[in-house]
Amino acid sequence: MATPLTSNGTEPFGSTSYLPAFRPNPSMSASFKLDEGYSEDTRSQSGSDTIMRTDSRMGDGIDPDAQFPLPEWVLNMNEGDRSEFAYAILRSLRTSSIAAIVERLNPLLHLDPVLYLPPEITYQIFSYLEPETLLRASTLSKMWRSRTLDSPLWKLLFGLEGWTSNARQVKLFEEAEKARKAEMKERKTRARAAEDMDYEQQSHKKRIRERPLFGDGGTVESGIHDRLQPLTLDGSQEGPKAWAEQHSVVEADDVQSSSSEDRMQGIAFDAPALGQIATSTQIQDRLKRDKLFDSNAIEDNMASPNSPASLDPPIQPSLILPSVGDPKLNWQYLYKQKRRLEENWNAGRFVNFQLPHPNHQEEAHTECVYTIQYSGKYLVSGSRDKSVRIWNLDTQRLVLPPLVGHAASVLCLQFDERPEQDIVITGGSDCHVLLWRFSTGELFKKLEKAHSESVLNLRFDDKYLVTCSKDKTIKVWNRTELWPTDEAYPTSTSSGARFPQYIINMQHQVESQHLNYKMLKEYSLIMTLDGHGAAVNAIQILDGQIVSASGDRSVKVWDVHTGACLKTLSGHTKGIACVQFDGRRIVSGSSDETVRIFDRATGAEVACLQGHTNLVRTVQAQFGDQPGNEEDLEAEARAIDRKFFEAREMGTISTELTREQRRARNAGSRDPKDIFAYGAKLPPGGGGSRWGRIVSGSYDETVIIWKRDASGRWVPSKTLLQNEAVRAAGGRPRRPVTQAHAHTNHLNATNQNQQQQQVVAQPVSTPSATPTPPPPQTAGAPPNFQALAQQAQAQAQQTQQLAQQVQTLHAASQPANHATNTTIVTVNVATTSHHNQTPAAPTPIPAPQPTQAQAQTQAQGPTPQHQHPQQGPTPAAAMAAPHHHHHPPHHHHHPIAPLATQGNFSRVFKLQFDARRIICCSQDPTIVGWDFANGDKDIILASQFFGKAE
Amino acid sequence: MAAASTSAVDPAKKMIMLTTSDNIDIKVEREVAERSILIKNLLEDLGSEGDEPIPIPNVNEAVMKKVLEWCEQHRKDPPATQDDDSDSRKKSTDIDEWDQKFMQVDQEMLFEIILAANYLDIKALLDVGCKTVANMIKGKSPDEIRKTFNIQNDFTPEEEDQIRRENEWAEDR
Repeated sequence: MATPLTSNGTEPFGSTSYLPAFRPNPSMSASFKLDEGYSEDTRSQSGSDTIMRTDSRMGDGIDPDAQFPLPEWVLNMNEGDRSEFAYAILRSLRTSSIAAIVERLNPLLHLDPVLYLPPEITYQIFSYLEPETLLRASTLSKMWRSRTLDSPLWKLLFGLEGWTSNARQVKLFEEAEKARKAEMKERKTRARAAEDMDYEQQSHKKRIRERPLFGDGGTVESGIHDRLQPLTLDGSQEGPKAWAEQHSVVEADDVQSSSSEDRMQGIAFDAPALGQIATSTQIQDRLKRDKLFDSNAIEDNMASPNSPASLDPPIQPSLILPSVGDPKLNWQYLYKQKRRLEENWNAGRFVNFQLPHPNHQEEAHTECVYTIQYSGKYLVSGSRDKSVRIWNLDTQRLVLPPLVGHAASVLCLQFDERPEQDIVITGGSDCHVLLWRFSTGELFKKLEKAHSESVLNLRFDDKYLVTCSKDKTIKVWNRTELWPTDEAYPTSTSSGARFPQYIINMQHQVESQHLNYKMLKEYSLIMTLDGHGAAVNAIQILDGQIVSASGDRSVKVWDVHTGACLKTLSGHTKGIACVQFDGRRIVSGSSDETVRIFDRATGAEVACLQGHTNLVRTVQAQFGDQPGNEEDLEAEARAIDRKFFEAREMGTISTELTREQRRARNAGSRDPKDIFAYGAKLPPGGGGSRWGRIVSGSYDETVIIWKRDASGRWVPSKTLLQNEAVRAAGGRPRRPVTQAHAHTNHLNATNQNQQQQQVVAQPVSTPSATPTPPPPQTAGAPPNFQALAQQAQAQAQQTQQLAQQVQTLHAASQPANHATNTTIVTVNVATTSHHNQTPAAPTPIPAPQPTQAQAQTQAQGPTPQHQHPQQGPTPAAAMAAPHHHHHPPHHHHHPIAPLATQGNFSRVFKLQFDARRIICCSQDPTIVGWDFANGDKDIILASQFFGKAE
Repeated sequence: MAAASTSAVDPAKKMIMLTTSDNIDIKVEREVAERSILIKNLLEDLGSEGDEPIPIPNVNEAVMKKVLEWCEQHRKDPPATQDDDSDSRKKSTDIDEWDQKFMQVDQEMLFEIILAANYLDIKALLDVGCKTVANMIKGKSPDEIRKTFNIQNDFTPEEEDQIRRENEWAEDR
């Protein structure tokens, strides 16, 4: 744009004659040889010499007669003189002429920053803008669009939202893509070396060709559908294009081909001279769609006669940047999909799924599932059926046969499937801690009788394994061989914790004794932490701090190096069942039916979430901290404190809390009247971004998704029902979905009907495998009494087990009137169902003994469901025969009201969520999940790169 | 006498000479000039007393004076830390009052200051400049932004429409 203007000027300032007055171009007065010296190329260079640019802006808005050549003597004036001279000339004009000139000059006072400033600077400018503003800016011009849709910029925005990405996955994917591209290139070179070059060369060739073909960027009539690569900041070979805006898009006839609707980005050329040229965008778009890394498909695609979109970057962002360099993920795409995913969460759009796959019921646990953990692809579950199962979440199938080794219920587990770790650690009612190889299922180590009672929870990091138990203790074990001189070795043994004889007090050691040091084998007991007055139900370890939650209503923080108890947090009015620690907040769920958030630094309770109607058994929180927001949060906390004190001083709030107010607590409101604690490092609610989320699961059979409202208060955003999820996933819930819950179901009616029929048609499985409520009195045919008895037995046993667990929780807190003797179980198990409150046995019940039912279960092996040939009928089949098997004992679709509505069939034991899913396990042997990708291919594709919620 | 007074002078107050792209020499206190990391490093590398004029070939007199005016105002600011890198950058575009006034210049001067701050490695000034431009974009309609920066719309109406539809994902919260 600037070039044509200057090229015809014979005078040094031929084309820019009027401009020096506005533009103190530094190089101009230093050297008058500029018209040769500049070109677009200087714009590609970042840093020091960017100031040596010319103004392509001058190309616009200046009419040709502005090139009126100035006489030499004018040019030889200095800026000040020239300015005075110009003013004198202007003053000689009539006002209307002056106005016209002002009008003409006005655009020159408004400069387009994307033309004036190099990409790294517009990057910084744009980094201050909200995504919405950036998208608006992308509509300004093509140059603005390519600068504002720049991938690194969106990567930054992604991080600034407080979202995390899975760096490992990103790296692996980009490397795999690179390897694939290299392979493809080699293949092609071999196959058609003569006429076909690799993509980089092609692109280069194409770029060269454009000049003569397209000239200064005008439209061409050649019928060539072309698309150029967008600029990237990191692709050095793209440098010149970054500034050469006429390169950004070549006007091609945008033929509305029918195939463009299915986003086939194939390319075709009417001009055979150009041969087959495909940009990597098209290839990658294609790959993105079918995820087939099959170069045949790509070649087919290249040959397909489809018209590409004309814009660059393409209208719809693709997963991989259409760059000729190494394949890179497009962060604008990831950002977009993340936002769409968040929308689904907020709107409650999801699809349900279950483990086992509905067509493979035989893979299910045979009794309730106490614990799960999942990573991107795998889920590991531990059940009352004593087995540990490893599932592939993509296929919903078992990866390995069940891992058998525990002598009683598996209560807790953690796994790490990364090859360098390759481990599953489980703990159970048998007091053992077992270590398995994740990849093979091999049981390679057993910490026999790790505790004297049930191991209720365990966590490990690289250095330590921490276990906690109903025996009220916490134990720490080393995960790697340890020398007393190692950093992970206890630094002191005088903290009050109990240390085994073989642990040396390093504070009393002197150099000379080093010779006598013995190495500690891996998984040795390092220390035992006493202090809790009741069972320790949950534990976390992070950055050398252990956080434990107990039935004694307290949370304690311990130093893993010394065993010292650093802090005791109180607030819950009953035993605590679960805890999560992110370094700053401690989030806990309790038998008092609340979730509370504590500030780790001060111990202050910063929020109390009320919404569950029974014990909160499992909780996970993600505050969505923006990077480096610690100071902001503390400043926010201080400001709210100040308001509180001001309000108190003014007498607008009472200094005395009424009993009522005290009970009401605060779920995160900033209103001085609601303030409950001050001096915390965190504002009410715990801080974090607007993407923050807490998910809790309860014995009230619901999962609640909590979000903050406008005032900052945590409120239930969605309430999910375990049994509805099972049914929606194509499985059969342990008990029917009652109408009362229908309003919370997000499925449409059609879907529900289908599910219903599927349920109807599905034959019942062996009762011992899936204990169910007894059939209703209206049952026509006589039920199978033996099965019923078995079922009742199983139920009783389960209740017993449950009671035992609950007992643990309630020992220190539960009022006696809630206790029900659950050992008395008749065929009608409803006795235990009356109580909204958790049934708690009056006395501890010894570890479960194998009962008849259990023995039978085992005798029958894991295949009782094979007895039913019609496992998991397809919806179509179900539709065809809706009344098939519509006889007892098919009681599942009969409402068993009112007992069942508050029965204990779907109590949630453990849940986990990540960017995309919530998965929970419960009394139902079926593990269910809510997938908020909601079947969207793009969201699913992008989700693999989203970080874990932590 | 001259020697005695020179040695007594605080090294920060010592005057150094900068030569701008248009061959103008500007005298400035060393402490002020050292707001520019480029100049600071140059002075350290040269190890000289700063008697030699330092050529600044990419910044002209008018811009340099403006930049030095900012440096004078901010001479006592704590040095920029290395860790507050782009990733931890706050979204806030708040600019203190003096800087706001300072940045009330024509667009060309504004961009020149930004480029000079980038070249001279004066992070805080670059930040203020970028925030100023960002604030000129914030809260405006596309047409208003086009007017502000004299941006030529080179999209066809169809393209504009397509882009608008594609951007709909970000509209609702």
